[in-house]
Amino acid sequence: MNLANLLRHISARHIKYQKAQTFLALAGICLGVAAIVSIGIVNKSVLRSFEDSISVATGRAALQITGSQSGFPETIVEKVQDVPGVEYAVPVIETDGLLSRGKERSIMVLGVDVLIDSQMRSYSLSNESADIPDPLLFLARPDSILITKAMAEREGIALEQRIQVETVLGTRTFRVRGILNPEGPAKAMGGNLAVMDIYAAQMAFGKEGRVDRVDVSLMRGEELETVRQRILSVLPMGYTVETPVGRTRQIEAMLSKFQTGLNLISIFAIVVGMYLIYNAVSISIVHRRKEIGILRALGAKRKEIMRLFMGETLVISIIASVLGVGLGILFAHSIVGTLGRIISQWYARTTVTGISVPWFYPATGIACGIAASLVAAAFPVHAGSLISPISAIRSLPWSDEGFFTGRRLKIAAAFFLLLSATVFCIYKFAGFLPLFRNKTFLFSSQIFLLLGISLLTPAFLKGFLSLFHRLPTTRLGSMGMLAGLNLRKNITRNAVAVAAIFFGISVFVNSAGFVYSLKESVMTWLDAVIRADIIISDGHPSSSTNAQTIPMPVDMWREIEKVPGVLSADPWRKVYMDYKGRRVLLSVVDLIRRGEYSHFMVVRGSDREIRRLLPRQDNVVVSEPFAAQFGVRAGDVITLPTPSGVVRFGVVAVVVDYLYDGGTVSMDLNTYQRHWGDMLADQFSVRVRAGENIAAVRESIQERLGTDRKLYVLPAQEFKDEIRKVIDQTFMFNYALSAITMIIACFGIIITLLASVLERTREIGVLRSIGMLRKQVSGVVLIESVLMGMAGGILGSCAGIMTGWITLEGASYSSLVQYCVPYGSIVWAMVMSVGLSALAGLYPASRAAKTNIVEALTYE
Amino acid sequence: MIEVCNAGKTYRQGTREVRALRNVSLDIGRGEFLSIMGPSGSGKSTLLNLIGGLDQPTTGEIFIDGRPLHGIPDDELTLIRRRSIGFVFQFFNLLPILTAVENVSLPLLLEGIPLAKIRPQAFQLLERVGLGERAGHRPEQLSGGEMQRVAIARALINDPAVLLADEPTGNLDSHTSEEIFTLLASLNEKGQTIVMVTHDRRAAAYGTRIVTLKDGALSEDISLGVDAT
Repeated sequence: MNLANLLRHISARHIKYQKAQTFLALAGICLGVAAIVSIGIVNKSVLRSFEDSISVATGRAALQITGSQSGFPETIVEKVQDVPGVEYAVPVIETDGLLSRGKERSIMVLGVDVLIDSQMRSYSLSNESADIPDPLLFLARPDSILITKAMAEREGIALEQRIQVETVLGTRTFRVRGILNPEGPAKAMGGNLAVMDIYAAQMAFGKEGRVDRVDVSLMRGEELETVRQRILSVLPMGYTVETPVGRTRQIEAMLSKFQTGLNLISIFAIVVGMYLIYNAVSISIVHRRKEIGILRALGAKRKEIMRLFMGETLVISIIASVLGVGLGILFAHSIVGTLGRIISQWYARTTVTGISVPWFYPATGIACGIAASLVAAAFPVHAGSLISPISAIRSLPWSDEGFFTGRRLKIAAAFFLLLSATVFCIYKFAGFLPLFRNKTFLFSSQIFLLLGISLLTPAFLKGFLSLFHRLPTTRLGSMGMLAGLNLRKNITRNAVAVAAIFFGISVFVNSAGFVYSLKESVMTWLDAVIRADIIISDGHPSSSTNAQTIPMPVDMWREIEKVPGVLSADPWRKVYMDYKGRRVLLSVVDLIRRGEYSHFMVVRGSDREIRRLLPRQDNVVVSEPFAAQFGVRAGDVITLPTPSGVVRFGVVAVVVDYLYDGGTVSMDLNTYQRHWGDMLADQFSVRVRAGENIAAVRESIQERLGTDRKLYVLPAQEFKDEIRKVIDQTFMFNYALSAITMIIACFGIIITLLASVLERTREIGVLRSIGMLRKQVSGVVLIESVLMGMAGGILGSCAGIMTGWITLEGASYSSLVQYCVPYGSIVWAMVMSVGLSALAGLYPASRAAKTNIVEALTYE
Repeated sequence: MIEVCNAGKTYRQGTREVRALRNVSLDIGRGEFLSIMGPSGSGKSTLLNLIGGLDQPTTGEIFIDGRPLHGIPDDELTLIRRRSIGFVFQFFNLLPILTAVENVSLPLLLEGIPLAKIRPQAFQLLERVGLGERAGHRPEQLSGGEMQRVAIARALINDPAVLLADEPTGNLDSHTSEEIFTLLASLNEKGQTIVMVTHDRRAAAYGTRIVTLKDGALSEDISLGVDAT
């Protein structure tokens, strides 16, 4: 028999008559593929925006030299220029600014050497000022600035107009001396860029005598690696000499944890889609049993029956996957801005102007959609091919359990649970072997755990229904009893629908538990370390971690202490630096002043030792992730790169610190200033005199210091609340992906219930004939869907707690992080699973209620 | 007790209209055992469905104890079926997920009465039809005759005004059929009104009156006994 013929004449007819079921199966796979594609595209687009900004801002530079985030001495430029093979060594200041005009907008300020920067980058001015040969000559005066055409148009800024930019020294006025065409560096950061003379930028941003980067071009014929080695040999330790591509890779590595997390969660959506396909195909086979029997009797081989159903699945999965790619691109368009903001807040500033759709992601999405559908369909299709012609035609009893018999399920469940435990133990105890110690490896442990539990779903559902049969049936009466018994009748199929809900809920509870536990631990830590009454920061509280902001002069504490009601003010500075090829955070506090009222949460070592050994001395404390990553213990000595060279620091203690999961080193302000020569601060902790009103003091600070610069002056509690909000926002994509997963799971419920209603047509006819009201018929179906939702919710919540715990174990923020069961979220999860399931049951229930009695009684 | 006045039923079959029943008028008295006969397609089952409130007439009126079965809301009609009519079908139509006693209890369960309260009555009915020992069995564990007896017990649980049977032995062998007819006749002797559709003359003879339908119209009405009141 010809497959094309069968597909054309039989399958097409089925699709026509079972539009709802076909649509739901298609929609499930479509959404799963959309989740994978959109997350892939958005992640890539964010990276691409970094890549583009780096490449256009780099110009002809073959190598880039970077050091500490606080900058390094400009004398380095001359040293590099003297290296054989170096054509030009061009210094650059690359910092953040805030355009205070109109709507506040964060911009990247590029400070360039007007005399030689055109050797590295090309600038082109828009028509009205194009007659000047070198646009950078505009910047000769210190108040001059060039802005991009995109920014000028967006903000309505004209040539020669004065604009106000937030700098380290406060708000400063600059004159727009030229408007840059969207070429070269002007394309970076979506056009949110301004160019200044390097000297003016150093002054304005507190970097006198220092630069952020040196861009290097090579003489013709020189080999890149040779020149790189020569440069490294003349630089003190701690400097990075990278190609622009290498810098992109650094950013990729920095974002990898966050992005991998999203990618992995998006896979759940397709897994749930597999459950949907499995059920849809199983149901189709049960319904078409007679047809299979007739085809077999007419000479169709088993293989041909298999091909027919696999062919149908293939066609549906191709259509669904292609639609999923389209939907994924739409999703990506709508979420890319938000994800860009979150990454700017936590990691590094970027402006994502659009999405890029490399072929890889749509192709992966389509491949995943098709492969997942075919794998899911293979089991029921195989079972269907074993139907004997006689049993099918005579409607002899046949179990639709197929491959998944009770015994096989239990053995498979035990296998996966054991595998999950083994993988987790290897992760936990295999030290720091990169092969095992990564998020993907840990994720596989979670997937195996979920697979194991999902294989136990039939057994769980059976137990749950017996319990239900005993407990509340008396209240729900005949409807409850019938609903429970109906679910027991097709336990395998209903268990698959329950397993899909279980997956969706477990993803939600997993994320919720992880976030809740982390939040609780972070808040406990913040309560311990933030003992001040008011926090003054240069950016939103979220900037306490990664995002760059415009720092303040460290001496501002003197000004703050002059405000009536202020008892004391002490600065905090954060700077990122490279340590052994990895990015770590340097956290600087004035230990003499802060030590009076605040302390570290010590894991190894003692607070007394910290107070004795840190102030003014070359000693540090390190965070747990730092200690774990680099194998450092209290009492060890570490060598840190400083702008003035390499310095050895004693490690006094290991402390809890959630500022940066890549590791934090904390030192005294005096030590920092001595070695780094940096006189800036990112935050001030202010204590208010006893009896003074905090709100009033806050107002006074804002009035006195906030007029000349953008300041966040927040009471400590409000500051902590903001951090709490930001943590929630960061995980909003996890919740969004859980919602998509739940929607797919609900499609599974609809398909299952629709099939169940169809199979019970005659039964429903009988019930109606003996006096069951329409609302009672729909009530039975609704109770069935609610029961499935409850079972899935309970199982999903339990599994979510377990996977959440594993996720937290893998996060390795601190040994003091304890898993906290997110009771509130579990209540929400139950409400969501029961509510959405009930919603999913509405359509099948209404179909059941509309059953025509006379037709139903003659239904075969 | 049951009045059928000029009842007609027209179905659409694709683009074609089929007149299944044409102006049938019939009065059925309390305690009667009415057999409806006729060849296949004569409208027997359609008439029974109309009397049972499973379907609505296209024209005419139907009353049971003076209450109309036509033009009333579905819920009201359903409650009449639940409380005043008992059904026995050719294919038994028991719920496979329920035991015999639960199947019998079903109409009262729908009223919201707890199973524990119904069970004794259902059990008594099963004993009455000779299946006291099979109460805990599921339909798949029963023979055809046993299933039909369970169906009869279910039809009687609400003490219905009328018991409607559509070819009740159409799926049974002759020996079992005899048993079912004897059971129905004995129920009728105790005063149960029965309306039975059959195409079997011998079966029809168990009734007290036989009406014959031909092409959807009443063609013959013969009284065999005097049990009707």
